Amino acid sequence: MKRSTRVLLSLMLIIVIYIFVYFSELHMDPFIKRILNTGLIYAILAVSLNLINGFTGQFSLGHAGFMAIGAYTSALLYMSPETKMSNFFMIPLISPLDRIQIPFFWALIIGGLMAAGAGFIVGAPCLRVRGDYLAIVTYGFSEIIRSLFNNLQNITNGPLGLKGLPTYTNLWWTVSWTIVTIIVIKRIVDSSYGRALKAIRDDEVAAENLGINLFKHKVLAFVVGAFFAGVAGGLLGSLLMTIDPNSFSILFTYQIIMIILLGGLGNITGSVVVGIGFAFLMEWLRFVEMPMHIFGIEIPGILGMRMLIFSVLLMLTILFFRQGIFGQREFSWEGVAKLFQKRKVKE
Amino acid sequence: MILQAVEVERTTEPNVRQTVLKLEHVTKKFGGLVAVSDFNVDLKEGELLGLIGPNGAGKTTIFNLITHVIPVTEGKIEFYGKDITKLSTDRIIKLGIARTFQNIRLFSNMSVKENIMTAFHVHLKSDLFTAVAFLPKYREEEEFIQQKTWELMKEVGIEHLADHKSSSLPYGLQRKLEIARALATSPKLLLLDEPAAGMNPDETLELNQLILRIRERYKLTVIVIEHDMKVIMNISERIIVLDHGVTIAEGTPSEIQQNPLVIKAYLGVGDEDA
Repeated sequence: MKRSTRVLLSLMLIIVIYIFVYFSELHMDPFIKRILNTGLIYAILAVSLNLINGFTGQFSLGHAGFMAIGAYTSALLYMSPETKMSNFFMIPLISPLDRIQIPFFWALIIGGLMAAGAGFIVGAPCLRVRGDYLAIVTYGFSEIIRSLFNNLQNITNGPLGLKGLPTYTNLWWTVSWTIVTIIVIKRIVDSSYGRALKAIRDDEVAAENLGINLFKHKVLAFVVGAFFAGVAGGLLGSLLMTIDPNSFSILFTYQIIMIILLGGLGNITGSVVVGIGFAFLMEWLRFVEMPMHIFGIEIPGILGMRMLIFSVLLMLTILFFRQGIFGQREFSWEGVAKLFQKRKVKE
Repeated sequence: MILQAVEVERTTEPNVRQTVLKLEHVTKKFGGLVAVSDFNVDLKEGELLGLIGPNGAGKTTIFNLITHVIPVTEGKIEFYGKDITKLSTDRIIKLGIARTFQNIRLFSNMSVKENIMTAFHVHLKSDLFTAVAFLPKYREEEEFIQQKTWELMKEVGIEHLADHKSSSLPYGLQRKLEIARALATSPKLLLLDEPAAGMNPDETLELNQLILRIRERYKLTVIVIEHDMKVIMNISERIIVLDHGVTIAEGTPSEIQQNPLVIKAYLGVGDEDA
């Protein structure tokens, strides 16, 4: 298939998606819309973490930290001075921040850039260690961020968090950012730079002996991944209308890791589909946490039962589908074309 | 800058061949163990040097020292007159040294084609933005990479397996793929670490021809580590024999075959001589 045909088809798909978004914004049930928004944010997070964990093979547990930085930075920039006043009643917000208010888009970008900066600062020393050690160091980073945000009261309002954030996040924003994330990361992965990243994942020594600068490329993956995590954090803050440091705990990172493992490491399609599916499943599975009557036995509602189900699901995946649900299969127009051809043959 | 400096001094006269690689008093100690001791070599352009010795003699260590996978303890390594002793691995590769590995190190999750394409990354001129935006400059480079990859696959005879996973190839072909991948970094000096290991006699013969052919075509200087004497004696012009990190002999293949020290190192001699 020609490249121009593929681009054309992709553009058409994007237009169709936006038409869907237009009607959804008008008619869709707000509850479903909210879940869909959450799902798309999960998708952004999963795709960006996949660049670090799946394609470059650097097992990072720091994603919630990058998200927190993005969420707080953007929230402090797009909140109105009045809301900030009412939030910071214990200790006032430090000087220039309490008067600034900039548009949502720029707030997201700056949030992303701050997270990317953190990705660079963390990446530089962290990437001297490998494997399990890297996981521990990045986990440490994410906990340090949480602890810092809990204590920097004059910037983050401490454990009280920020409340009453304006709701800018809607499907237009989440869909657009998901598309941008997918395109950018897909392009990186398919380029010569992506080959270098995958080479590092497969064999660091061989990659280095082909002249690939390990450090530079690992930091590259971290910075790009952190940027999109920061943006996703900003979107999530505005969707939930409230953020506090403890919502960006390691549990959040685990959820994202679960999504990329279920979808398949190094599989963008898997990350997106499972990310959106995860949000819906999380809502749908709420019933398991309610009190239930099974065969006459009364079971009281246990909080966290949903996560148990996901754990079982994860274990089953690891046991029976090592490569995740999607494995190596990526969405491609060639694949779609083949599907149609097969149908025709059958008829 | 660095690359230019290398280019400038190449002599055209065939008699005065330029020194490609020079190792002076190179020593490597792992704690108390001396892996390589006072190793010296002066390698001229186009030469094919064989490096032999019993297991644990320090042959692979010398390759690791040249490409700075491990740092030298003492001594100096020069490549085209430039001191590369302290340069990082990726810089050294960029200058024009390529190597293969004793235990094949392919990118197992990638296809044959991708394995070779990866090696072109070292000389990629487009920055990340140009590549992500797929600007014309990058498109040209990508096309160039595709075309060169195809040529290299043909060179070693694996073009029919382009889209196969590299780990699915038989052993002999994996070795060839590794050579093709090393060639993709456009080296001036090629280090081959036991290229014939695990090959049958036919494949070995073919490999000999391949090594000689690529040396001619890509104007390479080559160092080969090999246990298979059929390879080493047939293709090398000069051989260095190592034993326990010490250079025990140096000379042409026929000289080496008659050297009593070499025979002793390989076969062992009764106690009265020891």
